[in-house]
Amino acid sequence: MVLVIEDEDAICNFITAILNSNGYRVVKSNTGKDGLSVAVSYNPDVILLDLGLPDIDGVEVLKSIREWSKIPVVVVSARGHEREKVEVLDLGADDYIVKPFGTSELLARIRTALRHSPQSMGGESNGVEKVTIGELVIDFGKRVVLLDGNMVHLTPVEYKILALLSKNAGKVLTHDYIIKEIWGAYADDSHTLRVNMANIRRKIESNPGIPKYILTEMGVGYRMAEEIN
Amino acid sequence: MEALETRPDPDAILDEIREQQEKDSGKLKIFFGYAAGVGKTYAMLDDAQEQYRCGKNVLVGYVEPHTRPDTMQFLQGLPALPPRKILYRNIELQEFDLDEALRRRPELILVDELAHTNAEGVRNRKRFQDIEELLNAGIDVYTTVNVQHMESLNDVIEDITKVRVKETVPDYIFERADMIKLVDIEPQELLRRFEEGKIYRLNQVQTAMRNFFSLDNLKLLREIAMRKAADRISNENQSERRLSQKLANTKMLVCIGPSPSSARCIRWTARAADAFHAHWVALYVESIESNYQSEEQQKTIRANMDLAEKLGAEIVTLSGHDIAETVCEYAKLSGITNIVVGKSRNKKSLKNLFEMDFEDKLISYLPNIEVYIIPGSTIRRNYKKPRKTIPIKTFNFSWLDFAKTLGLLTAATVLSFGLRRLGIGEQNVIMAYILSVLIISRVTAGHVFGVVASVVSVLTFNFFFTEPYFTFNTIQAGYPITFLIMLLAALITSTMTVRIKTQASLAVQRERRTEVLYEINKKLLITRGLENIVALTNEYIVNLFDRSVIFFAADPEQGEDGSVMQSPDDVNGSLLNSADEKAVAHWVFLNQKRAGAGTDTLMGAAAFYMPVISQGKVLAVLGVSCLKGTLDHSTRLFLRMIASQVAMSLERQHLSDEQRGIIVEAEKEKMRSNLLRAIAHDLRTPLAGILGASSVIRENRNTLDESTSEKLNADIQEEAQWLLRMVENLLSVTRINESASKVTKSPEAAEEVIAEAVGRIKKRFPQRKIVVSVPDELLEVPMDGTLIAQVLINLLENAIKHSKDESPVEIVLKKKGESALFEVLDHGKGIAEDDFPYLFTSYVPNGNKSSDSSRGMGIGLSICMTIIKAHNGTMEANNRLEGGAVFQFSLPLEGSE
Repeated sequence: MVLVIEDEDAICNFITAILNSNGYRVVKSNTGKDGLSVAVSYNPDVILLDLGLPDIDGVEVLKSIREWSKIPVVVVSARGHEREKVEVLDLGADDYIVKPFGTSELLARIRTALRHSPQSMGGESNGVEKVTIGELVIDFGKRVVLLDGNMVHLTPVEYKILALLSKNAGKVLTHDYIIKEIWGAYADDSHTLRVNMANIRRKIESNPGIPKYILTEMGVGYRMAEEIN
Repeated sequence: MEALETRPDPDAILDEIREQQEKDSGKLKIFFGYAAGVGKTYAMLDDAQEQYRCGKNVLVGYVEPHTRPDTMQFLQGLPALPPRKILYRNIELQEFDLDEALRRRPELILVDELAHTNAEGVRNRKRFQDIEELLNAGIDVYTTVNVQHMESLNDVIEDITKVRVKETVPDYIFERADMIKLVDIEPQELLRRFEEGKIYRLNQVQTAMRNFFSLDNLKLLREIAMRKAADRISNENQSERRLSQKLANTKMLVCIGPSPSSARCIRWTARAADAFHAHWVALYVESIESNYQSEEQQKTIRANMDLAEKLGAEIVTLSGHDIAETVCEYAKLSGITNIVVGKSRNKKSLKNLFEMDFEDKLISYLPNIEVYIIPGSTIRRNYKKPRKTIPIKTFNFSWLDFAKTLGLLTAATVLSFGLRRLGIGEQNVIMAYILSVLIISRVTAGHVFGVVASVVSVLTFNFFFTEPYFTFNTIQAGYPITFLIMLLAALITSTMTVRIKTQASLAVQRERRTEVLYEINKKLLITRGLENIVALTNEYIVNLFDRSVIFFAADPEQGEDGSVMQSPDDVNGSLLNSADEKAVAHWVFLNQKRAGAGTDTLMGAAAFYMPVISQGKVLAVLGVSCLKGTLDHSTRLFLRMIASQVAMSLERQHLSDEQRGIIVEAEKEKMRSNLLRAIAHDLRTPLAGILGASSVIRENRNTLDESTSEKLNADIQEEAQWLLRMVENLLSVTRINESASKVTKSPEAAEEVIAEAVGRIKKRFPQRKIVVSVPDELLEVPMDGTLIAQVLINLLENAIKHSKDESPVEIVLKKKGESALFEVLDHGKGIAEDDFPYLFTSYVPNGNKSSDSSRGMGIGLSICMTIIKAHNGTMEANNRLEGGAVFQFSLPLEGSE
């Protein structure tokens, strides 16, 4: 079940149509306050949250949801600024999608969000043995990365970054989040991250100018592709 | 989103309000009493306690530690500022800590003893200057002062009490106060307190104090204090009429000179001018004698001028040999109605026999002007009066002048012998001697040689040419008279000559100054640009005063270093840009007052700083190095004149800058409206398509066949996509800072930006082949990633549209020197020659191309250009030899912020 908190009817209609035709149940809400109470009473699987709401700011809605729940939240925003995207991600949003968006994009984001939700993850989140994306296999147990069956030689840091991204495949990880996870709480060097990322790409991508596996979200962070199309 | 920009930013408004609040200066309340012990501090603390209970943020800045115990208990509960300890000659002194008070910014601060003089090493010499700073910072101040500390009442009170009060407060502080609270007590009661030792502890009671605290004195002081307070009230009531009256009625003039009694005249005039609400002028006439003034006299003059300035006078210095005449001339020209003079103390001398007294002369020259005569002070200080100095002090003996004198006298004697030999009468001998005295006065420096020559010539005449010869005896009865006349003639001749000479040199000096001022003015008029004005001013000051100079064209706390110009024989000028000196200049900026060496504020500075003010705003600060000694009064005056010229020219510069800004702004506005018009037109076309297609679908749902409606749907999508790209382009333009055309840059991996652009283009044109090549080395380029991605998207889209569907589009990233080079290549037909000049402009010159045909192109590329320019990059387009076009742009690798 998907809760859509969105004030514009046109967009609401279109989202509902897509989701219904793909077999999701949809609950609609036009204001932030209403959305919050609906979220409490229905306990949906995913929330689609628009930032520009008539009564309270979407960011506030996100904050109050995060106070009591880990329901996956996908933020829908018309505002294109990266800082805002980073802000909502840091506040605990699972993903964001910028208006205007296509049908397939929306469905993909919802699928990812559902997959990473606490219910579906259960206890297995740490127990995943390996991740396969296209030709790329990351084996957490053996700590090896295979591309097309061949071993890829990565430095420990590069491996840590790749592992982190692939565990969260499909999800955007912000620069700050990655840096904190890899280098610790007080590091603040996006340069090092970029250099490492460039090296990883030269090892696993056939053309780093058109990456297949690790996608860049400009000004926000990186996203590991879930599947290669 | 657009609406946001037109709405005023609330933060900006808040800032503005805050700024205005800061500009409002604090309120000053003075607790005013007639003697120590009337209970001023008590009243102040009582009031402060009241304010504190009302919830005001009160801070006790400084209360004299010797305050009476029953007063001290009122301090309880009030937050107090610890005094600043200053070590002065191994004595630890406690002073009010101004900087800490400014930092804490209470709403109300209590500072006892307004008239206090600070210890050396504190920024301001006087406490009232500290208080002025507090007020300027918007802090309310409570302070206390006794009537004998008022500058203008100083001498009156000295006459009464016979006690000279050195610590005085200029009257304007009193005038500035928002509230005056007169703290009063019966003199008998005060005396009783005094006897009980409540006022001064018993061991402190000295004889002087006993004299001071007599019943008569106290009664008089009380009367003066009350009258002062009453004057203020009546002034307040008349305040509306004040200005017009000032201009219409009285204008007073006080003549000041090197005598200490001038101070008395100045104070008297200040009080009178205050009572009449009149303007007043303090006039000093430089004359020949001023050249022979002793050090002490010059000091007195300076002190008198400073005093007059403090009391609110306009200072005028003129030069002329006859003081009365000069004063009259000035009085007539500037519409003076009253003149105040001190009674001249000239003893009846030879000269005075023939001349009228100064005041008589004034009256005879100016029958319409009232003249007040203030007698010279009679008390105690008489013995200190500097005696009329004999020019000996300034006399420099020179062998050359001595030789000249000797030679000329000898020549006269020889000539006279010749004349006598020829039998020509002795009256010619006298003439020959007088002539020689005249020439001697002319060719030697100073009075001395002329006078000596006069005496010597009389003696020689007596010795050689009167019977009996070769003795100093005379037998003929008429000779003594001859001698006397000869001596007088010789003396007068020599004095006159000297006078003319001095006047000529004074005139030359004036002339030079006027000339320099005129020259500066002329040069400033033709100088354009701030740096040039600064350089010119510096050059002149260095040349005129032989001192290093510094010019701050902006507040040094935030602006850059001032421009220094070094004088060849002064110490290193870079010292003037040190943090300490800058702090002084900053103070000058804030307080609009002079400071630094030779002033009362921040005297420890290495230079004298003067604000360049125009219309109440400090435009710049001029600093002149004082390492060679402080500046004298005339130099400061001259500097002030230069400063006013500079102020004018700076203001002109500001105005012209502003005007240029307005023109640029207007140009921008024009461009923006052009762009808007073009966009509006471009947006309307696809909207018309969407509206048309969607209405056809809805209205003809049943009659439309499948393929037609599919096609219409595709059209709608296509047009909407186009609109979206347009809007994205426009949004990206709003990211560029309007005023500075600057973007916020952060290092980005160039390949990631390319990947982003290619990814977005691929979504739109999944069929097209895009070849990307990036270097092995990671290129980090400072940029706004979103904007550069937008540029690449525009270029890619452009390339795709202008080449055949199956041909690939290439995007290449290279490192070239110190910049990153991006290239987008296509295999289309290239760019038409006609289009080249207008490729990157949104403006299509000839109307034959409808905007439909160039749709999206013109604006897209011009936006690319704007973005690249904002990154300090370059962009160009070319046709390739092998066919197709190449668009390339480069971005600097180093952050050029």
